[in-house]
Amino acid sequence: MSSSSTETTQVVDVTMPQMGVSVAEGTVVAWRVEPGDRIEADQTICEITTDKIDTEVPAPVSGVVSEIIVPVDTTVAVGEVLARIATGDGAGATNGAGQAEAPAPEPEPAPQATATTAPPKRTADHDGAADGRRYSPVVQRIAAEHGIDLAQVPGTGRRGRVRKQDVMAFIESGSAGEAAGEEPPLHIESPYRPEPAAPSAPAAAPGRLSRVRRQIGEHMKRSLDTAATCTTWIEADMSRIEAARKQLGLTALPFVARATIAALREHPSLNATLEGENYAQHQDVNLGIAVSLGETGLIVPVVHGAHELSVEGLSSRIKDLARRARAGQLTPDEVRGGTFTITNPGQFGSIMATPIINQPQVAILDLEAVIKRPVVVTDADGNDSIAIRPMTILGLSWDHRALDGALSAQFLAAVKRHIEGWTGA
Amino acid sequence: MAPLTYLQAISAGLRDEMREDERVLLMGEDIGVFGGAFKVTDGFVAEFGLERVMDTPLAESGIIGTAIGAAVVGMRPVCEMQFSDFISCGFDQLVNVAGKMHYRQGLAVPLVVRLPSGGGFSGGPFHSQNPEGWFMHAPGIKVVAPSTAEDAKGLLHAAIHDPNPVCYMEHKHLYRRVKGEVSEGVFETPLTARVARSGSDLVVIAYGAMVHTALEATEDLEGASIEVLDLRCLKPLDEDAILDSVGRCSKVVVVDEANFTCAAGAQVAALIAERAFEDLDGPVVRVATPDVPIPFSPPLEQAVLPSVERVREACRELLEY
Repeated sequence: MSSSSTETTQVVDVTMPQMGVSVAEGTVVAWRVEPGDRIEADQTICEITTDKIDTEVPAPVSGVVSEIIVPVDTTVAVGEVLARIATGDGAGATNGAGQAEAPAPEPEPAPQATATTAPPKRTADHDGAADGRRYSPVVQRIAAEHGIDLAQVPGTGRRGRVRKQDVMAFIESGSAGEAAGEEPPLHIESPYRPEPAAPSAPAAAPGRLSRVRRQIGEHMKRSLDTAATCTTWIEADMSRIEAARKQLGLTALPFVARATIAALREHPSLNATLEGENYAQHQDVNLGIAVSLGETGLIVPVVHGAHELSVEGLSSRIKDLARRARAGQLTPDEVRGGTFTITNPGQFGSIMATPIINQPQVAILDLEAVIKRPVVVTDADGNDSIAIRPMTILGLSWDHRALDGALSAQFLAAVKRHIEGWTGA
Repeated sequence: MAPLTYLQAISAGLRDEMREDERVLLMGEDIGVFGGAFKVTDGFVAEFGLERVMDTPLAESGIIGTAIGAAVVGMRPVCEMQFSDFISCGFDQLVNVAGKMHYRQGLAVPLVVRLPSGGGFSGGPFHSQNPEGWFMHAPGIKVVAPSTAEDAKGLLHAAIHDPNPVCYMEHKHLYRRVKGEVSEGVFETPLTARVARSGSDLVVIAYGAMVHTALEATEDLEGASIEVLDLRCLKPLDEDAILDSVGRCSKVVVVDEANFTCAAGAQVAALIAERAFEDLDGPVVRVATPDVPIPFSPPLEQAVLPSVERVREACRELLEY
């Protein structure tokens, strides 16, 4: 037989890739293959994540997965071996004997020949259900309402299908409670009974938070636990910026960013990071911009060297980063190295917030809605009058470990001054 | 209360209406002196006279068109199509004139068209059809289809009292086969569905003669609890009743004696797919007559009409799913 007589199997390592210069390690999120699966070059072998970016690892060569070394949820350094792929004639050809075939001319076996020798296993992920079964709408709804893992429910329908009466019997038998890990009675005679299920059905099936949400949550909680967060607000008249942005066809964000950068150059103690007791002011302004990913979550890409950019330059960089953030195309370096962050949820009309500092930075500026309000204006002769002006409230959350209230107020006043005195800089 | 056949209940309903309301008049082919092809109006001429029990030419378009005029000026005409198949000759008057009169001119057309429908007696392709779907599709027309003697009378009263044109589907196969206690006097059956038998494992949705097929097919199905829902009114459909049954049973068989495509059951299935998706524990199964004319040949006719055995097999298959 061709495969056994010409044994030229080689084993190729699949390693944790280098994703951007500053990334040192990554975590395996999911394996797309199992040992014994046939895989083609560039087909995704697994999904990995750094602390912000998700990506897929392509197979470096075609062959048969011989070994998976790093289990899911394990973090390893860049360059470490994740899995091994066997290539060549002998790959996976353990059952090749007895097949009357001419020797394959190609160095790699034909796909169908491999299929007979190493049939690809249908893994749980491919079936959409963890146990490979499909469920009718009513069964899924009842399971969701009762928090039942359908894999635990025996099916009595055709080919073991779980029918409505199966899931109902499962609930009545009390197995559902065990499966859901409910607290058992303290002892047999205990009057304790589990609380009845909430009468109103949840809007969606209960489930674990997504990984992105868990990461955001950990990050936010760590910030609040670490920093002595205070928030200060100032009101700014956006008349000049409104006029300028209409002329250029831009949003207010790049203008406020430009004003913020100018204020940061005057008050470099806010363009800083604080890690433990190490406080560092930075020469460059690397400006983080919070981008909403809808229900998925939030990401903060960084405009590196923002102090060198004009308002138009800032606008196009922010747009590009936001577009690629939503498309999941950011590189890890593009979400690192920020020295100050702006968050801008004001498009929905909210007027004030207390943002959480993006660690290890020492402050974050919140831009909310611009709303026309009656304000008192004073002319050159000192006469007061009431005018209608587009106003906004800028909120600055700052870390009281790194600076004090007077400094943050001076900084906000500087931002206000640059906004209200906008001259097209 | 007296036990009446389905046919006697229709006769009694017409007679009670004519005694109660002078505006009610009957029109049709051979309904007067001869008493109707099925003897529904036997003896009516003697009691009500030729002016209120009118024999007409063999011209369905003329019957319905004349009746529309009578209805618009305040009469309550009840037209008999000798066989429901013949309604196609009066289609334009019914669908385009009667159905749209109120929309176009604000005039009510309190017209009832009696449509003796259905097969099972070797009547062949011109005398066996179930054309209710044609009229469900036409705006402005109501469609009712009783399955019991009581409902035959009550729905006839409701149809005559209704200010809209109503197609009253009376199933010929039930005329002398179905008998039951029927309330005396004028009463109305609401235009809603009726639970013919309640159950929890599967619901068979049917109307007219198929209600009896469904009941017989599911009488003893290995202990399964089978609901039978009798639609009674096809336009408007009693959507709440359908969704309620599906919500409790989660498995549905819809039976039509009409041809499969665009039958009343197709609309029921579409409603369930759209509004009861999360209640379903299996595909919505339909049993209907294939899209072929009804054959004269008795064995061929029995082969195409939904039989007790076909309905039972469909239920058994779905229960096991």
